Amino acid sequence: MAGVEEMESQTDDKENSSEKIVKTKEKNSNQDSEKLMKLPLSRIKSIMKSDPDVTLASQEAVITIAKATELFIWELSKDAVHSTLQSKRKTLQRKDLDCILDTRDCYLFLEGTLD
Amino acid sequence: MAERPEDLNLPNAVVTRIIKDAIPDGVNVSKEARLAISKAASVFVLYATSCSNNYAMKAKRKTINANDVISAMEEMEFDQFEDPLKHCLEAYRNEQKNKKEANEKKKKEKEVEVQTVEDVMEEEEDDEDNDGDNEKDEDFVAEEDEDDDEEEDEEGGDVESVGLGSVANDNASVSGSATGSVVEISDDDG
Repeated sequence: MAGVEEMESQTDDKENSSEKIVKTKEKNSNQDSEKLMKLPLSRIKSIMKSDPDVTLASQEAVITIAKATELFIWELSKDAVHSTLQSKRKTLQRKDLDCILDTRDCYLFLEGTLD
Repeated sequence: MAERPEDLNLPNAVVTRIIKDAIPDGVNVSKEARLAISKAASVFVLYATSCSNNYAMKAKRKTINANDVISAMEEMEFDQFEDPLKHCLEAYRNEQKNKKEANEKKKKEKEVEVQTVEDVMEEEEDDEDNDGDNEKDEDFVAEEDEDDDEEEDEEGGDVESVGLGSVANDNASVSGSATGSVVEISDDDG
């Protein structure tokens, strides 16, 4: 797919450096962005490329989606731990997640995907 | 969308770090819950990409840009993400601008260094006798020749008279003017 190849050329530099680091120190994979990004941009880009309808994405778009994903993980965890604390447990379990997935509308897109 | 991106999971260490930052201290996360959150994050990326792509296509563009992603958050019912994403984007753009300026500055400094080195090398090439100046050795030779000529003029320009005069100076008296004429020499032994 030509469009996908153009995406590769846009982020080749970051991909080459981040892929090597992810194998060893995943936490430090984005220190070149001065701690703005924790998730590796190469992995985000790989997931985006798996969508056949997507042709091109700017570097800023990849970064924005990466940051949005970090916020999503944070939000999901924060919501799920409410169920944990209500049950007076000290370990967040899968059932806590299932509980909040049914509660909030914004998590409806996840229905059937985590089984 | 009922896709299962099992091969496109995000790094476990990073996901765990984000989860632990979100939950209170002392609360742990089970392996199953961590895996489920990681899968959910991958599905989120796909969903966000698809929604962003729709915005780009509506605007008749083939490239998804950052504004498309921010607009998609509203459609996905994640309005609370808009402000943090805008701040993050602004910070990234400032960082890129600073990097670009720093690179241009380094490039200019390198050009100045190269020019200085080239100038020094040219000066060294001109200084053949390594005496610190660019004058050639032939100049010194030329000066010595001039001195010899001057000496000859003073003593009449006659080699023989000079030689004899220098030998006989101790015992001989020299008379006459030194205008080039032969000088009479008398030897007094005694």
